Amino acid sequence: MNRIEERMALLKQKNEKALITYLTAGLPDLEGTKALMRAQEEAGVDVLELGIPFSDPIADGPIIQEASYQSICRGTNLKKVFRLMEEIRSEGVEIPVIFMMYYNTILNYGIEAFAAECRAAGVDGVIVPDLPFEEQGALQAALEKEDKAILIQLVSPVSGARIPAILEHARGFVYCVSSMGVTGQAGVFHQEVLSYLKEVKAVSKIPVMMGFGIRTPEDIAPMKEIIDGAIVGSHFIRLLEQSDYSTKAAKEYCSNFKQNI
Amino acid sequence: MNSKAYYGKFGGQFVAESLMNTLEELDQTFEAALKDPAFLEEYRYYMEQYVGRETPLYYAKRFSETYGTNIYLKREDLNHTGAHKINNVIGQILLARRMGKRKVIAETGAGQHGVATATGAALFDLECTVYMGEEDMKRQALNVMRMEMLGAKVVCVRSGSNTLKDATNEAIRTWAKTAEDTFYVIGSAVGPYPYPKIVREFQSVISREAKRQFFEKQHKLPDVVMACVGGGSNSIGMFADFIGDRDVELIGVEAAGKGIETGEHAAAMAEGRPGTLHGMYSYLLQDTDGNIKLAHSISAGLDYPGVGPEHAYLKDSGRAQYVSVTDAEAMDALMELCRLEGIIPAIESAHALAYAMKKAKTMTMDQNLIVCLSGRGDKDVHTIADYLAGKAYLN
Repeated sequence: MNRIEERMALLKQKNEKALITYLTAGLPDLEGTKALMRAQEEAGVDVLELGIPFSDPIADGPIIQEASYQSICRGTNLKKVFRLMEEIRSEGVEIPVIFMMYYNTILNYGIEAFAAECRAAGVDGVIVPDLPFEEQGALQAALEKEDKAILIQLVSPVSGARIPAILEHARGFVYCVSSMGVTGQAGVFHQEVLSYLKEVKAVSKIPVMMGFGIRTPEDIAPMKEIIDGAIVGSHFIRLLEQSDYSTKAAKEYCSNFKQNI
Repeated sequence: MNSKAYYGKFGGQFVAESLMNTLEELDQTFEAALKDPAFLEEYRYYMEQYVGRETPLYYAKRFSETYGTNIYLKREDLNHTGAHKINNVIGQILLARRMGKRKVIAETGAGQHGVATATGAALFDLECTVYMGEEDMKRQALNVMRMEMLGAKVVCVRSGSNTLKDATNEAIRTWAKTAEDTFYVIGSAVGPYPYPKIVREFQSVISREAKRQFFEKQHKLPDVVMACVGGGSNSIGMFADFIGDRDVELIGVEAAGKGIETGEHAAAMAEGRPGTLHGMYSYLLQDTDGNIKLAHSISAGLDYPGVGPEHAYLKDSGRAQYVSVTDAEAMDALMELCRLEGIIPAIESAHALAYAMKKAKTMTMDQNLIVCLSGRGDKDVHTIADYLAGKAYLN
């Protein structure tokens, strides 16, 4: 069984919500990334998203754009992140890890080689924000052949009629992109997000997670009964930058979030 | 895979899930519009009465005699706003109105597409925001002022290389957030399907006219048709109606910048590998890690690290040939056209002229070559002045 799916099953059994965090690989450097990964595993984070930096991250806002740029400047590339994964797995870190990356990075590596390397290095899942359902065939086939890492499906508030097809064979969890920017949005908007999450939850056979714009456990209070967990990205990156990538700060933030989710 | 989105293996829709329904709605609107006589009549009306079409197919007599073959210039520089970009903008803005969108956004490199979009938005009373790289805003200050006079908001993009690639990233990000009430007017034959198809359709007026005009003069087809290629909008428009005429040689001219061998160029076809950027799978300039490389060209309009997917297909299928000329060659051609014909071409178009001068030497006075003169050079006078003063161009 896949580590992500194992964790989802465990959470269901314990009746717990999931906390998923995003980290740009290579910041502050590769060793620092490993230290942060360990700290998050200890803090109780359920799944870790590792961002593979790309020059043109069109699905990311300014914070992750800048982090991605800094990481590239420090020489991070996919090959080095695979090595990092091999090392951290051999050191006994068992937290499920998902690579969040743009499709060109995979094409450049070679789709088959990428899937094989995911298996070898202990990568459990892949999220590709610029690879919609219709374009997933080649990558999906390569991942299925290796039978290890899974492709996580994204849905958006405007996916509408596309949702059932996207979810039909989805594995692990569904990543629901909320258009919620920050806390305190107008009630009408919240209503729309709620009905969208309900719609996804109703057709999904796997857990439903919400991401984009989440900073604190309070942000997800209105949809707590619907979703199975939260994904924290930009806010976590900013916090790491501000604390000079302190593992202590990362740990505190994550364990507090996990306890209050 | 949605096979209609592909030209051979190129094209596709490599965008966020949140844009997929928008692209589908756009495709349906576009296909319905093409079958609607009222839409086509409205487009034709604005092309004729507002843009000033048709544009002449001008026989450049002195240019021809100097270089040894008959050279015709398709005068897109005479369009309202000074380039071919307006052909596509009017079409897309009519689509935006048909979809009930009140806001338009656009990316721009040289500023010609931004000016055209600002113009169309003023004409149809739409709110307009244009994304432009900081570097391009400096070298095309005149166009920034024109956009602002036309009521558009110009957003300065400071990320990556501060040029067209980054302006496009920012426009796509904004669009993904605001697609419900905002129409993204893409200026080149790039982006996710159906954009390459839409841009081609609205720009194909160039070759439809040119083919008929040439036939009226010579009662035959030209031997060679040539255009510059950045993303590839004027060139796909110039090629479109000739693609089925196998005897007509099609040549796209990319920017070799300081020379292909220096690595500082914008020749995605010459040096690029296929990959995904801005929603499409096509030839791209990229490094060994798959990061997109910065393009270099003295011409802001050609300073783009990719190329439209149909061009990638035309290259691989062998139907069109893609070559490149350097900054220096383009500037020489620009001055040559000024002197011989009294026409100041855009630096973009001067790339096509530069290769026409080379190609003409292999041809005879019995043969005919059409060059798309995609824009006028008024916007470039500062760059030209700097170049002539011997200042190394910073990019």
